[in-house]
Amino acid sequence: MVKNGKIEKIGKNLASGNLLTIDATGKHLTTGIIDEHSHIAATSINEGGQNSSAEVTIEDVLDPEDINIYRNLAGGVTAIQILHGSANPIGGRSAIIKPRWGADAKGLLYKDAPKFIKFALGENVKQSNWQSYSRFPQTRMGVEQLYVNYFTRAKEYEVKKLSGKPYRYDLEMEVLVEILNKERFISCHSYVQSEINMLMKVAERFNFRINTFTHILEGYKVADKMREHGVGGSTFSDWWAYKYEVKDAIPYNASIMAAAGVTVAINSDDAEMSRRLNQEAAKSIKYGGMSEEEAWKMVTLNPAKLLHLDDKVGSIKVGKDADLVLWSDHPLSVYAIAEKTLIEGAVYFDIEKDKLQRAAIKEEKNKLIKLMRDDKR
Amino acid sequence: MKAYNLIKEIMKTLKNIRTILIMSFGFIVYSQQTPAPLQKEVLTITGATAHIGNGEIIQNSIITFENGKLVAVADATTSKIPLRGTIIDASEKHVYPGFIAPNTTLGLVEIDAVRPSRDLDELGQFIPNIRSLIAYNAESRVVESLRPNGVLIAQTTPRGGIISGTSSIVQLDAWNWEDAAIKVDDGIHLNWPESYVQGRWWLGESSAEKPNKKYQEELESITSFIVNSKTYGKSTPETINESYKAMQGLFRGEQKMFIHANGEKEMIDAVSILKNNGIDNLVLVGAYEAHKITDYLKQHHVPVLIQRVHTTPEGDDDDYDLPYKLAKLLVEEGVLVALQSSGQMSRMNTRNLPFYAGQVVGQGMDKEKALQLITENPAKILGIDNSYGTLEVGKSATLFISEGDALDMMSNQLIKAFIDGREISLETHQTELWKRYTNKYSNK
Repeated sequence: MVKNGKIEKIGKNLASGNLLTIDATGKHLTTGIIDEHSHIAATSINEGGQNSSAEVTIEDVLDPEDINIYRNLAGGVTAIQILHGSANPIGGRSAIIKPRWGADAKGLLYKDAPKFIKFALGENVKQSNWQSYSRFPQTRMGVEQLYVNYFTRAKEYEVKKLSGKPYRYDLEMEVLVEILNKERFISCHSYVQSEINMLMKVAERFNFRINTFTHILEGYKVADKMREHGVGGSTFSDWWAYKYEVKDAIPYNASIMAAAGVTVAINSDDAEMSRRLNQEAAKSIKYGGMSEEEAWKMVTLNPAKLLHLDDKVGSIKVGKDADLVLWSDHPLSVYAIAEKTLIEGAVYFDIEKDKLQRAAIKEEKNKLIKLMRDDKR
Repeated sequence: MKAYNLIKEIMKTLKNIRTILIMSFGFIVYSQQTPAPLQKEVLTITGATAHIGNGEIIQNSIITFENGKLVAVADATTSKIPLRGTIIDASEKHVYPGFIAPNTTLGLVEIDAVRPSRDLDELGQFIPNIRSLIAYNAESRVVESLRPNGVLIAQTTPRGGIISGTSSIVQLDAWNWEDAAIKVDDGIHLNWPESYVQGRWWLGESSAEKPNKKYQEELESITSFIVNSKTYGKSTPETINESYKAMQGLFRGEQKMFIHANGEKEMIDAVSILKNNGIDNLVLVGAYEAHKITDYLKQHHVPVLIQRVHTTPEGDDDDYDLPYKLAKLLVEEGVLVALQSSGQMSRMNTRNLPFYAGQVVGQGMDKEKALQLITENPAKILGIDNSYGTLEVGKSATLFISEGDALDMMSNQLIKAFIDGREISLETHQTELWKRYTNKYSNK
């Protein structure tokens, strides 16, 4: 039973009084899918002009008219972190949204969401794959020093700010200070084991922890160290071989990390994959023999944990948001189709309504073509 | 100052070369799986649900193969066939013909971002004489990664230009390209121009689509190349022209022309121009709008390698699930269709071919019919259906045993696989790393 956008009761024969009942006989009901890493619904993704862009935020560039919002709903997705790109070691701040198709940019934002920022390591921040030789850093060695420099400056900035002496307000430094004070979490694009290890050591040196390594295709090589640090892994199911740094990426990564005790999510990074993340999670059953339950958590409860939203979303539990999906089949099966997607109790996608809209679009197109044709005559 | 910059550039180049050398070395320190030897003993698989690949299914099957060929495929409950050779009990399991992946770039690139590993796109607009086969890396780690998912045969295809070159069909367990080849130089690939192009927004134009002013001119250049090729074939030229020479198989009907086109207008233009100029053996690749011209395609007997199932719709107002159901729409109208994987990260995604077929099942297509999209149909379209694509007596024993339904990632789990009767390794660079690191943590 859903009331005021929350799950009120779970049980049998709850119908009483004026309830709207949805007959789901023969269907599978689950909580909505959560995508830890997406770039949909934004007019801009990278501020790559400099090696740190902590001053920018995706919240400022949300595009509520991106059709991928609707397509994500049709894939059972109900919460998404829209991340800055990986052009620089310190990227921009994230926007966490619910794909409320039809809402304006502000209406998409997840209310009171925890604060996040994108970091990135490896070939992209080194600018290795295109002709660019002038921006620091050019090596993984430089990336470490960049972080050390920035966090050292941020510490000095805070000391001055708290000293009562006049100081120049610096948005970029403010954001980095939030990280040092554990008020903002890092989701860091990462691939190879050396850099993953390095960033954990830098964070420990400055007395904070990395929240999430995203992509993290060599996480399986340092899963024990990740567990010790307390960082989660949000990875691709089976991508590899597109860059040198992912030559050792394996589809067993999620299974190995999970077995080592790391909180693991499967992310999309891609508007096509994000609308069938259920299938991507199911690949860990094939690769590494993960249980169905654990596989399903990788696109629901685990990303909710990584986003610090697991008290509100990520499972069907009394008191949590009524973000629900009705599936035609076992939700981990390639044959399953999302038939209804609800966000906080409101139906945002309905396959029957979609069919009516298709007919309406067809009619409208025919009308427009006729008008254009008549106009030509 | 200038000299200083020059030195800096040279240093950079040297540094790059050094990096390249280090990277190339990285590639050779690992070994590939060893290709399997010829089938020596007779093998019989019993008890499996056999998915024949032509739409049929045998619940309790008996499958025997000898010297690489299937000698018995029958229903054990109704026919009495003697059990010969080594018996593989596959009760509760499933047997499928090896899946066939058309229009791939397998073996032509190892790692996209590493230029020395790319042999995909040659300079030139009309270069049918460029042959993918001789660059096909039979020892590619991407190639071996397809086998544990059931993909055992592929077409390896060059890209770029207008006529990119000539493809070949290979099996995916070989010492070298010669051993891999099962059909040499099967087809020539033509990238049809688009009648509408996106505005060059970086030059201040609107990014909206607008008519391609050069479309007619481009069609004329294609027509003239084909006419010249045909004329060349009829003459006794004093000097050999390799490009024209490479086209002759098309006019003799020995090779197929694969037309890469998506729009309704483009597809019709291509088919009519090519047919008018003596090229009859056509296949459309991509064919996003093929469902709008099914009668035309049937009339001209043009099969389709449809756009990858896992893509986003091209238009905002297209049905959100259009790419999922394109194959089904065509099959319902009687067009011969197969699935393919080209697009973003196409090589590594080719192992997901079975799941593309599974996605089509989700759209309401019968499972065995969907299976045809990656077995019998591509075999027919590629012209290898005499030997491959279905489990039928006399054909190659290219097949695999899976624990469960191979079209669903929840249950696609290969136990054994055979190419021409040879039992191939299902290990890969990736399974080796999996085992190595699983051991690392369990030994702690």
